[in-house]
Amino acid sequence: MYQALLTRKYLTTKVMPLLAMAAVTLSVATVLVTWSVMGGFLNTLLNSGRTLIGDVSIHWPTAGFPYYDDLCDRLEADEQIDAASPMIETFGVLALPDDQVHGVLVKGIDGPSYARVTEYADTVWWSPIDEPLRKDTEGQDPRLGRDSFWQGTDWEALAEAGRTLTEPGGDPAVVPGIELSGWNFRLPTGIYVPGAPAVASRTGQTNYVYEFLPDLDITLSLFPMSGGTLIEPVTRTVPVANEFHSGIYEADSRTMFARLDLVQRMLKMDRADRIERPDQPFVLDPETGELVRSEPAVVGVDPARVTTVLVRAAEGVPVTSEADITRFRERVAGVYAGFAEQYPGEMPDGGNISIRSWRDLNRTTIAAVEKETGLVLFVFGLVCFTTVFLVLAIFWSMVSEKTKDIGILRSLGGSTLGITWLWLRYGAAVGVVGSSAGLGAAYLVVRNINEIHEWLGANLGLVIWDPSVYYFFEIPSDMDWTKATAVVTVGVLTCIIGAAIPALRAGLMDPVRALRFE
Amino acid sequence: MTDTAPLISADHLRKTYRMGRVRVPVLRGSSISAQTGECVAVLGASGSGKSTMLHLLGGLDRPDKPTKEHAGSPTAITFDGREVGRFSRAELDRYRARDVGFVFQFYHLLPELRVLENVTVGAMVRHGRFGFMAQRASINARAKELLDAFGLAGRLRHRPGELSGGERQRVAIARALINQPRLLLADEPTGNLDRNTGDSILDAIADLKTRLGLTIVMVTHDAHVAERADRVVRLEDGLVVNDRDATRPTASAPVQS
Repeated sequence: MYQALLTRKYLTTKVMPLLAMAAVTLSVATVLVTWSVMGGFLNTLLNSGRTLIGDVSIHWPTAGFPYYDDLCDRLEADEQIDAASPMIETFGVLALPDDQVHGVLVKGIDGPSYARVTEYADTVWWSPIDEPLRKDTEGQDPRLGRDSFWQGTDWEALAEAGRTLTEPGGDPAVVPGIELSGWNFRLPTGIYVPGAPAVASRTGQTNYVYEFLPDLDITLSLFPMSGGTLIEPVTRTVPVANEFHSGIYEADSRTMFARLDLVQRMLKMDRADRIERPDQPFVLDPETGELVRSEPAVVGVDPARVTTVLVRAAEGVPVTSEADITRFRERVAGVYAGFAEQYPGEMPDGGNISIRSWRDLNRTTIAAVEKETGLVLFVFGLVCFTTVFLVLAIFWSMVSEKTKDIGILRSLGGSTLGITWLWLRYGAAVGVVGSSAGLGAAYLVVRNINEIHEWLGANLGLVIWDPSVYYFFEIPSDMDWTKATAVVTVGVLTCIIGAAIPALRAGLMDPVRALRFE
Repeated sequence: MTDTAPLISADHLRKTYRMGRVRVPVLRGSSISAQTGECVAVLGASGSGKSTMLHLLGGLDRPDKPTKEHAGSPTAITFDGREVGRFSRAELDRYRARDVGFVFQFYHLLPELRVLENVTVGAMVRHGRFGFMAQRASINARAKELLDAFGLAGRLRHRPGELSGGERQRVAIARALINQPRLLLADEPTGNLDRNTGDSILDAIADLKTRLGLTIVMVTHDAHVAERADRVVRLEDGLVVNDRDATRPTASAPVQS
């Protein structure tokens, strides 16, 4: 009982325990903020890794493979598979109306089926919204239609065109990443405002003008291959249906979606007659008796091809952990093997084709972030471990200062154990208060980390989180309460460990010497 | 003195301290006893071993271990028929908490606690959390009663730093008495006070002795203080040189500090 009373009194009347508490608060807050941001970064990476690629990808680059509709049907017949979608991945060159030229990763997709496998539909940016984004307190988002400039825009039609990659007239269209063109200004509130820099003049002047990419056409060049050799590039002018925003800078600045049939045609991967050239270039016409050019004979059909089929697991099938996704990938591989057997000689066999999970596809990045998180935590943990010694030093000094109190308590009948417990309890109290304050501070920092970052950028010119380096536009700001509990527990234990030696010293102190201590 | 068994008695107390490599004998076979309700003053100069004797009687310290050299005159401290020297650590803690009350020259109050808390802290130590909580009301009432008796009723919420020396010593006496001990050990209780204040403290102690039948062992270097006791034990260089009824005149001169 006296331990509780004295702990309270010592905590509220002494400066030294406040220093110890401040050290614990800072340590706990530092570790928690670091762990939350890095852990949130990893989580965002893991989640967004699947945003545009589904759970498993069956991929045969360049040449692609036919009968993908059959493969998709077989996959979707499996109870563990929700949907499958064909896709072509290739590289292309994009020329914008202002003569900018960009190398892009082109993904030829079938909008509706791709949206069932990925989160694509949610990434189509120019869609109607009813409420402004959280930080857009002034309602500046064009999609709200509040500005008279945008009131005539049919956002729903734009969204539909984006989802299907089809213009209202039925023409195939493209959907580039919102950061690709450089025509959209991203405001700190997270919204985009269209506006294009006019073509640079010879005088070095540029004027900014409102240009809305979905109103315009772009020129796309793709490079079909035949037998491993590049053949003549194919160039088409195609309308822009919409723009997408996945939140992953890498994708939003370098990827463009195009309708699958358009890409198939441009890459000459669409359905075509298989012909056989005649042995002789000219033959004698039996009716006229004249030599005429011999026509190639149609001997079959080359089915349309794709390079990739993406697969999404059914609801409730676990695919997050390494073990789960591996199990699911093997199931997909089994379906593919059955499919390949149906088309001997036309399909890559199960051993050759690349069947990879979203984890496999992001492995390098995930491993790097996991390692980085571990390393940062280790370094901060090591720094914070010094708190043990700080608490030890402070408590050692306090026990010395309170030697007489110890003697008095012993003279009143206080036991060795009782005195030891007083100081251990005191250490625990410092730990609980310090760690709780650290938790509170960390929560405030993590919740407002983007605002803090913006403030630092605006006032001090500090840009710690560069989206082009860290992939995401916003610093992850979610606190994992399991981790928070662990850190707070360690914070309290740190103080108890730091207080243990001084506590034992206090408990074992000779009461007579303690009373005579000056 | 009466013929009944003493409440506390110590025979052949020996205590040696080490100061570096040097062994300094502080008590060299002193004996003392006090009957129930008796006030015994231990009179001696600084360094004569009187405080050490008090610490041994109160179980704050242990006497030297027996040696062959002193086999014929073994050390023994007996409280109410129990051999204190054989107490375990825990029994010693209980002994200090229940049977003994200490009063020190420099009051030794806990500076962070208020007056009332300084008094009740002794009961907290004795009864533990649950025992104290169960008896909280009666303990608080007793503490207030004691403080009221010492004229400190208006000072309950003050801290020691806000009290005079005499007031602090009264708080220390109230703390010593909160657990209703049978033995009060006072180490120079007036040594840090002026004569008038010291006398008022001695009056309070005498009153307690009369009212509560308390046994008191009080060490002092002041013959004037010693004269207030029933019996005076004179200590010189760790040995008792005189043990007499305080009402009888003494041949020796008062000891100077």
